[in-house]
Amino acid sequence: MTKKMNTLLGLCLLVSSFTIAQSPVNGFMKKSGEGSVVVSYSKENYSKVFLVPNEIDGVPVFNDVSISSISLFGEIGVSDNFNIVLNVPYIKSEGNASDAVLENNGFENVRKGVQDLKVYAKYRLHTLNFENSSLDFIGAAGIETPIGNYSANEGLQSIIAIGNEATTYNAFGIATYKMNSGFFATGQLGYSVRGNDVPNALLSEFKLGYAASKFYVDAFVANQLSDDSGVDILGEGFTGFFPATRVNYTRIGINAFYPFTDSIGITAGTNTYISGRNLGKATGSYGGVVYSF
Amino acid sequence: MKNLYKLKYIFITILTVSLLSSCQTESSFEDELPSIANIAVSNANFSTLEAAAVAGGVAGVLSNSNPNDASGAYTVFAPTNDAFARLGLNENTLGVLQKSFLTNTLLYHVSNGNLAGNTINAGGTSTSALSLDRRFIERGEDTYINGSKILATDVTASNGTVHVIDKVMIASGADIVQTAIALQSANVFTSPELTYLVEAVLYAELAEALTASEGSPSFTVFAPTDQAFIDLGAALGLTFTTPADIRQLPKETVQQVLLNHVIANDGKFTSELNAGTVTALGGDDLTLGAFTNGTLTVTGEGNGGEVANMGIPDVQTTNGIVHVIDRVLLPNL
Repeated sequence: MTKKMNTLLGLCLLVSSFTIAQSPVNGFMKKSGEGSVVVSYSKENYSKVFLVPNEIDGVPVFNDVSISSISLFGEIGVSDNFNIVLNVPYIKSEGNASDAVLENNGFENVRKGVQDLKVYAKYRLHTLNFENSSLDFIGAAGIETPIGNYSANEGLQSIIAIGNEATTYNAFGIATYKMNSGFFATGQLGYSVRGNDVPNALLSEFKLGYAASKFYVDAFVANQLSDDSGVDILGEGFTGFFPATRVNYTRIGINAFYPFTDSIGITAGTNTYISGRNLGKATGSYGGVVYSF
Repeated sequence: MKNLYKLKYIFITILTVSLLSSCQTESSFEDELPSIANIAVSNANFSTLEAAAVAGGVAGVLSNSNPNDASGAYTVFAPTNDAFARLGLNENTLGVLQKSFLTNTLLYHVSNGNLAGNTINAGGTSTSALSLDRRFIERGEDTYINGSKILATDVTASNGTVHVIDKVMIASGADIVQTAIALQSANVFTSPELTYLVEAVLYAELAEALTASEGSPSFTVFAPTDQAFIDLGAALGLTFTTPADIRQLPKETVQQVLLNHVIANDGKFTSELNAGTVTALGGDDLTLGAFTNGTLTVTGEGNGGEVANMGIPDVQTTNGIVHVIDRVLLPNL
């Protein structure tokens, strides 16, 4: 029973990994030769922006912004203790500026394309088994790099850029505590070293969840704290180059998964920013199909 | 067993740290002052100014410290949305302005250093970032900068000070004739304006009198729009389709009419004009209506009581102030 539940956990807990602004790696391991592929669609909107010092109503130039994406996510167990994770999203970012404003500034309301390829290796360093629970310590490292030909350097047009056009190197330490009852808690801390003048960032995520035999649900809080070398939008040092801005956020959300068969399931979730710095106050949701093997 | 407890503590520590660090604190920056650009962006009454700053390319400039002043500060006289709306301008109509004119107009609202509200004195001047001076004028209880009433003072920004005004200030940086020619050549609006006026001035050979030169006088000029001249043509039973059609009228008549639009009074902003009569260069009186909401009507003796309204008041030139009006001011012909 414990084993079965843990398998389900391992299967399910990938679901958080492919949505924007959650950690690219989760706190669970695939067994050797097992894996999953997820195709998901997500959509988020914002009309307010977290600036310093205040949140503002109305996105400059574009009024409100809607971002939709299709993501392809894959995770495979090379061994029980070593997994590879891949993720690549196609993103469409759409503003709502009037035709006159677009024409007057030479802007467009849409930016879209394939964003960044994200490749991670996860290694389980240690497992502690207790009477009714277990505790995994996992290390993860990865690279994210643009593979589309999008630009993040179009001045204020880049308010709706689909990414930072930066290669980043990331490392995470993860601890996951699973109880036989189905409850689990997983926390991670990571650091991201970023190119293209994007400030490096401390990343963290804490997640509580429950996995029964026929469903899975979790709730998370994810956080980014950027290095203070970054500039504030419309603050000292701001030149209109958005990648160099200091982006902090706290995002909360829930994820759910329901397996139809051993190999096919669906996943869905919703999330929102509750605080931030230099980013849109977005709320979004996603749904996806999960194939496991 | 001891080890197990130890590990549990380690685990709890990791989870706690990730949980605690998962809430970025706002208190670190909520006390910071917004930049001038941020004030424009975050205030709904400055949305046109925001759009103008974006289109005019000064949003980045006003986000940062002023490199041209030791204090790092700017002072900005910020026109409200209503101020822009007087000129028919909002974020969707700003495209009628040439970019260079828009940028210069914005810079005319900016000066170096912090100019505190309590140091603004009537009769004083302040040099703008466009290198042209603005004048401070007292009228009743109110203080004006040029023709614009100062509605609020001393909004403090991280990079300077903002004062709020009720009219957009316009300075051409050129004399009266060149200002009219700039409009006629579509260097101000993307479409030509004052084309009939420029043609009339050339036809009447008044260009020299209105051109600035060493020691030349300054004037207040009422400048009728193209539509005003077309309307006049219609009233006279003529059809004006191009500026050259002005030449259907006798030169002396055009001269007399034009001189009825010029007052040799050193150039006055609306804030300095009062209801009553003033004598135009042609010798006839012009009647100014009451000063209402920042403008006055003007009527010529030959207008049969029909007033001209100021569409674009208070344009500062190097030899006077131009008020663009919607009716030709007729003398007693």
